[in-house]
Amino acid sequence: VTKLNIEQSKVMVIGGGIAGLTAAWELSKSGVSVELVEKAGFLGGHAIQYACKATDTCQQCGACPVEKVLKHVVDDPNITIRLGAQVAGISKNGRFNVTLAAAPQGDAAPGDGCDDYSQNPTACAAQQGFSKNNAAVKDAGADGSVDVDAVVLASGFSPFDARRKSTYGYGQWPNVVTGLELEQTKRAVGRVVRPSDGQIPEKVAFIQCVGSRDERLGNLWCSKVCCPYALRTAMSMKHKHPETEITIFYMDIQNTGNDFPAFYNQCRDDLNFIRSIPVDVYPLENDRLRMRFVDEAEGVPTDVEFDLLVLSVGMMPGADNEALGELLGLERNQDGFFAAAERLNAVGTTAEGIFLAGTVQGPKTIADSMAHAGQSAREVMKYLGGAE
Amino acid sequence: MIQTTDIQMVEIRIATDVLVLGGGYVGLQTALDIAASGYRVILAAKDEVLGDSDNATLTGMGAGEKEALAALVDRVNADDGVEVLAETRLAGSAGVAGDFTVWLSGPDGVAERKVGAVVVAGDLACEPLTEAYGLTLSETVVSQTGMEEILAERPADLGGKTVAFMVGFGQEGNPLVMERVLSAVSAATDVDGCTAYVYVNNIKVAEDNLERLYLQGRNKGAIYFKLQEMPAIRQDGAGPLTVGFTDPVLRQPVELIADMVVVEEAVCASEENSGLAELLRIEPGPAGFLQTENVHNYPVRSNREGIFVVGAGRRVAALGSTLADAGNVALALKALLGGGTIAVPANQAVVDEGKCTICLTCYRCCPHGAIYWESDKAIISPVACQGCGICASECPMDAIQIGDYTDEAMLGQINEKLDDGDDAPKIVAFCCQNSALEAGAMAEQFGMPLPVGLKTIQVPCAGKVDIEYILTAFAEGADGVLVLACHTGNCKSERGNIFAGWRVEDAHRLLEAAGFEKDRLCFATLASNMGSDFSSIVTDMAIRINELS
Repeated sequence: VTKLNIEQSKVMVIGGGIAGLTAAWELSKSGVSVELVEKAGFLGGHAIQYACKATDTCQQCGACPVEKVLKHVVDDPNITIRLGAQVAGISKNGRFNVTLAAAPQGDAAPGDGCDDYSQNPTACAAQQGFSKNNAAVKDAGADGSVDVDAVVLASGFSPFDARRKSTYGYGQWPNVVTGLELEQTKRAVGRVVRPSDGQIPEKVAFIQCVGSRDERLGNLWCSKVCCPYALRTAMSMKHKHPETEITIFYMDIQNTGNDFPAFYNQCRDDLNFIRSIPVDVYPLENDRLRMRFVDEAEGVPTDVEFDLLVLSVGMMPGADNEALGELLGLERNQDGFFAAAERLNAVGTTAEGIFLAGTVQGPKTIADSMAHAGQSAREVMKYLGGAE
Repeated sequence: MIQTTDIQMVEIRIATDVLVLGGGYVGLQTALDIAASGYRVILAAKDEVLGDSDNATLTGMGAGEKEALAALVDRVNADDGVEVLAETRLAGSAGVAGDFTVWLSGPDGVAERKVGAVVVAGDLACEPLTEAYGLTLSETVVSQTGMEEILAERPADLGGKTVAFMVGFGQEGNPLVMERVLSAVSAATDVDGCTAYVYVNNIKVAEDNLERLYLQGRNKGAIYFKLQEMPAIRQDGAGPLTVGFTDPVLRQPVELIADMVVVEEAVCASEENSGLAELLRIEPGPAGFLQTENVHNYPVRSNREGIFVVGAGRRVAALGSTLADAGNVALALKALLGGGTIAVPANQAVVDEGKCTICLTCYRCCPHGAIYWESDKAIISPVACQGCGICASECPMDAIQIGDYTDEAMLGQINEKLDDGDDAPKIVAFCCQNSALEAGAMAEQFGMPLPVGLKTIQVPCAGKVDIEYILTAFAEGADGVLVLACHTGNCKSERGNIFAGWRVEDAHRLLEAAGFEKDRLCFATLASNMGSDFSSIVTDMAIRINELS
């Protein structure tokens, strides 16, 4: 690759979640123009929908840095933002010529049902793209064709579809929710409420590893983030409403950070841990739920009632990965995520000039996605000859 | 809002050499990445030879990675931009970002060098946990490292043996510890006639490929007992061992014989870290690492500008992920050091020499180590200063003024906001620009309920809120005052929120002494994404004021 004039070079970042935002901002700071393509109608991906999980003390969930990076990107004139857009074609002749097209949007517009914030907070938050910073986005439009010198693929993950675990009754019983939905509500309302009546739940269960570490589904990976989000959310619920009883059903608890042993001790004081994954959930009157599981301590099937069940759904490969792989000429690994070319270079691909950032490569926390995206931006700069 | 005047910028020349401490994989990669930016790198490694083989084992490097490590060592040695100092440690440091003096102790004595930035790559340490299990190393009780040696050098010795691996009872553990065990289990089951039993608490599989490795071992016949209590192991000389536990499936006590027990090892922060933290005046984090658990410092910043922490200095993680730190620190250094000059606002933090009595309050309270003193005055480095204003509010002589947030500007703004002729009860909310200010803007944008008489006043950090500002707000007609800070551990300036909390407590005492309802003044914490909490905090305040009046 001949050394380019960095000020004249341009990079396309595919995906406007936390990894794409971070890569775009780091590249722009390094003097490169960025085309940021996002298929949804707002920036921030999944991460912008997550709620703060602090008690009085920050629990390092990483949700607030997402706001910060989003703000930087929205304020940056060097980053052209294209919402509701997807890559329709790409050809390489020295540079990449990328054709964009409008991405199909779901039938229901986000925010359907929002008249007044206090009446339907989650719909109203969705209508705003979950962040006040999304209101300031200048959208350059979904159509067109752009020449770029490198591509960062940051198209993220798809959450596990909890309906595939049909015995949990997700989609059937109102008080069975996914971790993502719990986060959205907490972000919009400031607390966790039961969908059926908007009240604070008294007895809450989290089921871990929904879709992850599942041999029967062939999902042989840990999603890394679900134990942290369940434990942090549970502890912040407990802080706001100490009388809430919370049970975590799990196989193995994964770490949150360097102070995990101390944090886990606090969790064990405040939460009820049961090493067993329940199989069946039955609806009761008043939208309560009954769950059956084999308690290790008792050794017999046990029935317990809850009024909110949270399914800690895992990170699956992005639904578009197959199509993106074909368009970009990239290999996916056996799990369906995009394979890094080498074990020790987690951002490089087999295609020259195309780099990976974030969960498109495999499950990651917000902090790790940001670090990965920074590494990706640095590798792009090296590729463009602009490291110096 | 703060009036941004035409800020006068000054250009400062800074040193651009970078000191990298640590000759392991991440340190080497970091040195090369920084050198690629055109900065000269001094790479100080404590060992005689680069490449640190201890850490290579601890991070579970395979043959391919060890080859890559050797190639990396060659590249570093061949790079003219990297000066390698072997058997060299940090002996001291002084100064601030862009202008550090470091003292390096090597085989030829102590050398003094000038650098613009310091990167600590650090090492991992390995701690045997035999004591936690009440065992003594012997022919039949081996450490994880011991088992790795057997598997590498004489695997046939394991033929016909029953090997019991213990993990997760002597420590909580992490994926790196688990990867070593899972790899050894998988290798042991490959030996003819070797049976592997694994006694484990939480299986830490939160790294790429570990779930698959776990399954691989089981498919090859390894048997896992997942227990919540440490098994009782009887060691009797060099004979077989007895492992006793309650089987969670059979729900009864079981005793199994093992020819060999493999005791887990902790992979943890190096003991040298605490000394490094002191020498560099950075705040250490939990578990002996060199980074506080503050999301604003992720991935590689410390609380001091110009000092970065990478790799094993900040956490235990698989090599593939920690290598991201090298690229990130290269980006951060580019932004900091640029081409050797840096433009900073002339009024960033100004010390009035006439008022300064060199009491050193500012030196002690600065969370960024940005303040030093020369002959008869305190100096605030405009490069290292983050503009939080904690020093300005703590200075007993009011000798420090911060950029757009001078006392005059702040008091003027309080007056102006309260002098609006509006009848609604007036609530002044001092909002940290990093959290509450954003949360307030979110509440407004989303149409959440906010009281009519809310007056928002931006501060660079809650640590900039003087008691004087609070009392002035009341004197000028505020019916309630809120000081809204970041959550504990989330302050960009580490402790600004704690200072703010203390000042509110002090102000409460003053208000009470003056016979004023102290409930009119409140301290609360928020994050930037908590619009709904902002809305409820200010709304609750309005309700409280109505009840009081």
